[in-house]
Amino acid sequence: MTAITVIDEPEDPLRRAPLVEGKNDFASVTETIARVAEKRTPRGWYLMFGISIALLLNLGAAVGYLVFTGVGVWGNNVPVGWGWPIVNFVFWIGIGHAGTLISAVLFLFRQKWRTSINRASEAMTIFAVMAAGIFPAIHVGRIWVIYWVFPLPNQMAMWPNFKSPLLWDVFAVSTYFTISALFWYVGLVPDLATFRDRAAKAGRMVAARAYGLFAMGWHGSNRHWIHYEKAYMILAGLSTPLVLSVHSIVSFDFAVSLLPGWHTTIFPPYFVAGAIFSGFGMVLTLMIPARKWLGLHELITLNHLDNIAKILLLTGTMVGYAYGMEFFIAWYSGVEYEQFAFINRATGPYWWSYWIMVSCNVISPQFFWFRSLRRNPTVLFIISIFVNIGMWFERFVITVTSLHRDFLPSSWAYFSPTLIDILTYVGSFGLFFTMFLLFCRFLPILAISEIKGVMPEADPHHGHGHGHDDNHGGEPSSNPTH
Amino acid sequence: MTTANLTAPSVEQLAPNLKAKVEPGALATAQMAFLAIGVLLIGASWFSGHFYFSYLVGYMGVLGIVLCALFFTMVQHITRAGWSVTVRRVAENMSWTILPLLLLFIPVLIGSHDIYHHWMDAQITDPKAADYDGVLAGKSAWLNSTFFFVRVFIYFAIWIALAWFFRSNSLKQDQTGDPAITMKLSRVAAPGLFLFALSITFAAFDWIMSIDPHWFSTIFGVTYFAGGYMAFLAFTILLCRWLNARGYLKEAVTTEHYHDLGKFLFTFMVFWTYTNFSQFMLIYYANLPEETHWFAVRAQEGWGAIGMILIVGHFLFPFAFLLSRHVKRSGLGLSFGAIFLLVIHCFDMQFLILPGNTGGHGHGAGTENGAEHAHGAAGGTFGEQFGEYLHNVSWADFGCFAGLLAIVAGLTIFNIRRTNLVPVRDPRLAESLHFQNF
Repeated sequence: MTAITVIDEPEDPLRRAPLVEGKNDFASVTETIARVAEKRTPRGWYLMFGISIALLLNLGAAVGYLVFTGVGVWGNNVPVGWGWPIVNFVFWIGIGHAGTLISAVLFLFRQKWRTSINRASEAMTIFAVMAAGIFPAIHVGRIWVIYWVFPLPNQMAMWPNFKSPLLWDVFAVSTYFTISALFWYVGLVPDLATFRDRAAKAGRMVAARAYGLFAMGWHGSNRHWIHYEKAYMILAGLSTPLVLSVHSIVSFDFAVSLLPGWHTTIFPPYFVAGAIFSGFGMVLTLMIPARKWLGLHELITLNHLDNIAKILLLTGTMVGYAYGMEFFIAWYSGVEYEQFAFINRATGPYWWSYWIMVSCNVISPQFFWFRSLRRNPTVLFIISIFVNIGMWFERFVITVTSLHRDFLPSSWAYFSPTLIDILTYVGSFGLFFTMFLLFCRFLPILAISEIKGVMPEADPHHGHGHGHDDNHGGEPSSNPTH
Repeated sequence: MTTANLTAPSVEQLAPNLKAKVEPGALATAQMAFLAIGVLLIGASWFSGHFYFSYLVGYMGVLGIVLCALFFTMVQHITRAGWSVTVRRVAENMSWTILPLLLLFIPVLIGSHDIYHHWMDAQITDPKAADYDGVLAGKSAWLNSTFFFVRVFIYFAIWIALAWFFRSNSLKQDQTGDPAITMKLSRVAAPGLFLFALSITFAAFDWIMSIDPHWFSTIFGVTYFAGGYMAFLAFTILLCRWLNARGYLKEAVTTEHYHDLGKFLFTFMVFWTYTNFSQFMLIYYANLPEETHWFAVRAQEGWGAIGMILIVGHFLFPFAFLLSRHVKRSGLGLSFGAIFLLVIHCFDMQFLILPGNTGGHGHGAGTENGAEHAHGAAGGTFGEQFGEYLHNVSWADFGCFAGLLAIVAGLTIFNIRRTNLVPVRDPRLAESLHFQNF
């Protein structure tokens, strides 16, 4: 691995910072990304994969025990009927938001820096949604009839409750998963063809066949690209409302109720902001080590990390705004139950979880006001861990603190998780990391063709635009380094 | 900074044909005409049935536009946007009308005891008084006249300071061409947006939500912002087209820019729907009396028809209409969409402000009125409800909005005539002039 030379120039509004640094051309970009999957499997990968598989087996054991015994193995009990499983579900669904935001919303906003992080984030999204989907499925108790959540015609004339947001969740999450997977796959096709061709040239025929199967005969013709770009644009348009709808509907699970602390109108946008916050947090947690270990620092530059840090600051502060609004309106409403619920959150038996949430989600991103901290991968990594922790606790606070003080004081209780709760949650990381490590090992971890598309060489005016003012690439000609 | 001694290329180098300034005296007639129309409309509204409420409808509708001009300016800086540089000066000049808007707030202050009478006048905090209200007494730390007036000045201080800072620095860059100014504005935009979010939220709480002081909704600030930003985009599109028609900004704000403004118009029209759907659906579903009464009032006295008009006119129709790329790139199509959405924005403000307070029923909560007056019950066909709405609404509920919009247009033109039409030495001006939409 070459030594990391990090370019950290002050920002200059007269020119756009390059998105690919160093002396890279199209060939070297392909080489850098393809090498990750083609070189001999590093020992570190086996180590991490082994740990992930162990955790995954642990998930299987915990779920198996649950299915054979019943949901009583969890800490869920009156009045806290929704405990860790829902917390984990919302936690993972939230993480699954960054990918589609990056690939769809940032695409529509012409944010070219997305190209270096979109592929891995989309993969992360899909794996996070898979991890999320487990929890409501096993929570139904009789998982062997889970297909009843779908409105399938049946001789018993039994239908799911269409008025329940839990059913809306089924549609929202499954739509989101389908579109995200499709979007990810469409973007992968040109890169899979690159992998196919390289494998064939190197004589690795099994790999060439496998990549070739999924590349669907792509050979980069003009007609292919026209279709590809149309499809990509349409999928981006379709995915954009999904970025908002999924977590809005997840928030409805809580907000349609009468429960103080759950029923508040800001929940949908507040959940969406929190989801993007947690998703970008996980993107940093995954990409900072990947960037270092896989030598991708010229493609994922400090400017990329800086931008992600700014999004964390923005969304973390938006979440803080929502916490503030909830508190203010709880007082302003004059409803004593609302007031009690919020004071109890901050000072009641779960005060510690509330303050973990506030410190991690609202206070920790405030460090990103400073440019030097936004561009320090170590600091970013540490804060990204805090973000992950904080967002788990946010869902814990919402779920558990609102439930543990029932309207009937005789039902008040203190919720504690069981060992199975903990093992299931930890095991879900096993699923997530197993999938992610397989992705890193076998698929193009960055979007090769899209990164090439934002390099200066891809500009049709590149090479003969010097000295003219009609440079459509957006760089004024007075740029001395151009 | 490595390039501190470099400056941005000037507009003469980039676009020799672009008129950078309005000729002295030009547009003066239009400016005066807009101001005169505005003053006449407001003046005539004084004689209508419920002037202060009509004025508040117009004021809040226009305030959202002017505040979101400031928001637009700050967002372009913080995102280092290139495409929008040529539009930004129009927004900067529009945002600077916030200073005269402070004077135009005086009628609201004068009428405040009428508009906010539920909590301002009554002896609600005195337990011995006949109209003592325990809930309102509980929130009197926020809802009391003194603090209300103090907050008015806090909000305006924030808005005027921000609008002044962003506009004056941008004008300074016109002279010096210093890229460091761009960096400075980008840095200040972050805390600026934070202050903006808090101030517009609490302003919406104070000036609209507190008309019905029992009602509360955590998303209310966001819904007000969403509608205001949509209206800002519609107004800016129309203003730029109007300037184009007079030979200004023709090379600077092109079909490409209108296409992007149209996309944002579409986006925030949908975002308004999203926030309002969230608010309505959650309140409807939970069906708590302390929240639903606000919508119950808005189903009576003909307001149900306006609710339907908002669903169709603020979402279904513009969604279908503005979705097409051709419409957003067509001058006529986009202008129609913008005018249509501005009219709908006025309906939105009426829906927020008027129900339960107008229609000649005098003081008292709308729910009581609904119970007292048989014809005020919910229901009836759309035509019947709309007829009832027309019976209760005053022409001034449109007239004040149109009048204040004309005044803001006149004041914006006043500002435009005194500055360059585009930020002539902005480092990203070239990008904006050469911008092409995909």
